[in-house]
Amino acid sequence: MIGNRVVITGAGVISPLGDSPARLHDSLGRGLSAIKPIKLFSTEGLGCPLGGEIADFDATKYLGQRNLRPLDRTSRLVASAAQLALADSGWSIEMRNVQEIGLVLGTMFCSLHTISEFDRRALEAGPAYASPMDFSNTVINAAAGQTAIAHNLRDVNTTISTGVTSGLEAISYATELIRSGRARALLAGGADELCFESFYGFDRAGLLCRSNVTAGDFPIPFDSRRNGSALGEGAALLMLEDVALARERGAKILGEVVGHGSSYDCSRGQDSVQAVEAIASAIRHAMSDAFLLPHEIDCLSASANGSRGGDQHEAEGVVAGLNGQTQKLPVTAIKSMLGETLGASGPMQAVSLLETMRDGVLPGIPQLHQVEDDFPLTMARSKNQEADVINGLINSIGFDGHCCSLILSRGEEN
Amino acid sequence: MDRRIVITGIGVVTPIGIGCEMFWNNLLAGQSGIAPVQSFDTSEYNVHRGAEVKEFNAEDYILNLDAAHLGRASQFAIAAARLALADAGVEIGSLDRKRAGVSMGTTSGEPREVERFDDAYVSKQLDRIGPEFIQLYPCHVIAAHVASELQFAGVNTMIPTACAAGNYAIAHALDVMRAGRADLMLAGGSDAFSRITFTGFARLGAVAPEICQPFDRFRKGMIPGEGAGVLVLEPLDRARRRGARIYAEVAGYGLSCDAHHMTAAHPEGAGAERAMRQALADSRTNCEDVSYISAHGTGTATNDRLETIAVKRLFKDEAYRIPISSIKSMLGHTMGAASAIEAAVCALAVFSNRIPPTINLNDPDPECDLDYVANSARELPVNIAMNNAYAFGGNNASLILRKRELLN
Amino acid sequence: MSTEEIRTKVKKSIVKIANINFDDIPDNASYKDDLQLDSLTILEIAVDAEYQFQVKLSDDDLGVLRTVDDTVRMVQQYLSPVMAA
Repeated sequence: MIGNRVVITGAGVISPLGDSPARLHDSLGRGLSAIKPIKLFSTEGLGCPLGGEIADFDATKYLGQRNLRPLDRTSRLVASAAQLALADSGWSIEMRNVQEIGLVLGTMFCSLHTISEFDRRALEAGPAYASPMDFSNTVINAAAGQTAIAHNLRDVNTTISTGVTSGLEAISYATELIRSGRARALLAGGADELCFESFYGFDRAGLLCRSNVTAGDFPIPFDSRRNGSALGEGAALLMLEDVALARERGAKILGEVVGHGSSYDCSRGQDSVQAVEAIASAIRHAMSDAFLLPHEIDCLSASANGSRGGDQHEAEGVVAGLNGQTQKLPVTAIKSMLGETLGASGPMQAVSLLETMRDGVLPGIPQLHQVEDDFPLTMARSKNQEADVINGLINSIGFDGHCCSLILSRGEEN
Repeated sequence: MDRRIVITGIGVVTPIGIGCEMFWNNLLAGQSGIAPVQSFDTSEYNVHRGAEVKEFNAEDYILNLDAAHLGRASQFAIAAARLALADAGVEIGSLDRKRAGVSMGTTSGEPREVERFDDAYVSKQLDRIGPEFIQLYPCHVIAAHVASELQFAGVNTMIPTACAAGNYAIAHALDVMRAGRADLMLAGGSDAFSRITFTGFARLGAVAPEICQPFDRFRKGMIPGEGAGVLVLEPLDRARRRGARIYAEVAGYGLSCDAHHMTAAHPEGAGAERAMRQALADSRTNCEDVSYISAHGTGTATNDRLETIAVKRLFKDEAYRIPISSIKSMLGHTMGAASAIEAAVCALAVFSNRIPPTINLNDPDPECDLDYVANSARELPVNIAMNNAYAFGGNNASLILRKRELLN
Repeated sequence: MSTEEIRTKVKKSIVKIANINFDDIPDNASYKDDLQLDSLTILEIAVDAEYQFQVKLSDDDLGVLRTVDDTVRMVQQYLSPVMAA
């Protein structure tokens, strides 16, 4: 790693398990699951009725009484998380008159629901009655644009869309901009909404878990009974700054981004050897970027989401990437409780990891009771673990090829 | 690690030609790719013209993957990628694939997939949509498919910053290479003609009925288009070692956000000016050194006026010297591909000392009184070219390309 | 349909799209100056009016809608069987 050090001075999260890092972490620590029967839309005829929905999401709680009609659900999630992150990191109006803030957002779909509704209305009523306001939200950078308008974020504004890894890639992208001095303060993270259109797509592709009982049993990352993931939704943004700026303004430092790495599995998940090697590659790049050796990683926040093939590839990829030094590596997989939140997933893992660094509690993986004989991550547990985490590794692994790894270090104040 | 990154190959799929040579010749000749829309029925609309790619045979370019199982934007991207690599004389088999990456931009991803979904939904036959929807639709598939076709296992990024996406993708590739994370990057953008996009722009009243005439007094708007542009980026020392033809150096870039309005630019062009200013600073270029500007120039009343204001505010007197053209006058607005194709044009301009015209410019708007290279291509020394792009959501990006002879 | 019915529907559109209280919309409110609406919102209100009343305004007509009264009058014109030639 060369260049400015990149620290984290705050975080904002909107999730079904809490709208603050502390509340989210507390829920995860208590093994609460967000995966419940979906109310946002009908799942009749679909194989999976469950999802991690944010019940009664009301953006006015975070954004006040301004007109939110131009913002669709995804934009509201992002703008709300941005509000929380800005507040949490103590960026006052005075400070912002002197230093512009930017936004790098990862999202897989942005607003597929809006895109679809816009198109359907034009189909049904004729193109003359298509909604201009909805059209402005059909571009995949819409949520980032809306959030910039809502919070006057005039520095770099980028959207990254690489599937499940989008959010972690956004944090990596932002990190590089700050390292090179191109930006000094960036909100970075990701979001995706739960909507019928994408849910249908995942369900039809056989990626979603099946459960004969009501919510609670599936998905179970790493478990030998796992049969798919559950989709979730949310938004999580970290406030990233160069360390000099953070110190100048007396900001609290929650942690530091010390390394990132990514690679691509050309077989798109179809060939196990290539998939495992791609995951290992991303981890090695991150380790090398951070100048860390495998034994110096104190915990893993896995991307595992209950996928039959994906979870196994990750386990093997982690072992390969860390040169086999995994027997004493505590492992968590919070998608067990949040579901697969796509663009928000990696950033939510980061938010949770920062909390673990603060209170030494690594959430368990509820219901993880049985694993295959050759399952190598011996410290993936169903119960919470105590963990003194100085360096934590986060993985984001897509179901169709993208791999990204991020390493965070504990803030000096902790 | 050599921080000087150069363009060694160009591949394009455009409404006026596929492949660098055909495209460049047609562009200089002022050919237009705008014609009646073929890919869907526009009878219910009050505009009917677009810039579609003609005679594109995907199978000619897609050799490993099955073209029939790819969306159109992915097909364009792969074609442009292969053309670029061939143009660069790169032996794909000899590359370290883990150090070869892809950075692409787009506006809509694969819109036909969601259009199919909506058609099925509206006719209550949703079960026609199967597992392929999630495999083909999400926009990251464009970069993913390029990588899968070529077996590039390195960095793989998709930056969907709408009409400025190509510049963002190239800027990102530049950073990736400067950080030593890749030895070769394919960078560019791709978009397929889309009913959704056409409907939206038509509904905004932004679409011209006949032609695209940027900076003209009688301009009536933009014309939606499609296409792809991909550049091969390599470190200078590697390019020299293998005797590659070097089009230009990617010298720097600037990014900014208007934070003002989702579909309309800042009324004083402030964001656009900031992006240009940053690009000049980043590449250590003075105003008087800029030889040519490839404008965003969509042909809408507002864009062309605001863009002119921004250029004048930044360049002051120099603004009147610098030739500026908008190739959207010929290609229409190819969305996420636009600034990638325009970057290719800047590279070609720097390499050949020729610049394309803005066609249909017969009666310049008095508010657009700069040299917009009306109607004929021009020969002149082009040392440094600037490529500007502005997008929905207020995303602005400027890229600077520099002549290789200026590299020390 | 009476003028008042049209005006009420147009105002309800504004309530829905711009989140402004019905009672805070003067009968002859100017979209830009009185209600502080941006161009996209103004267009959305116009399209919503077209949709609700099932009329199709030309781009030129859309361009001159500056106040609530303008919209009401335009809708009336399109709905009435006797149109100015």
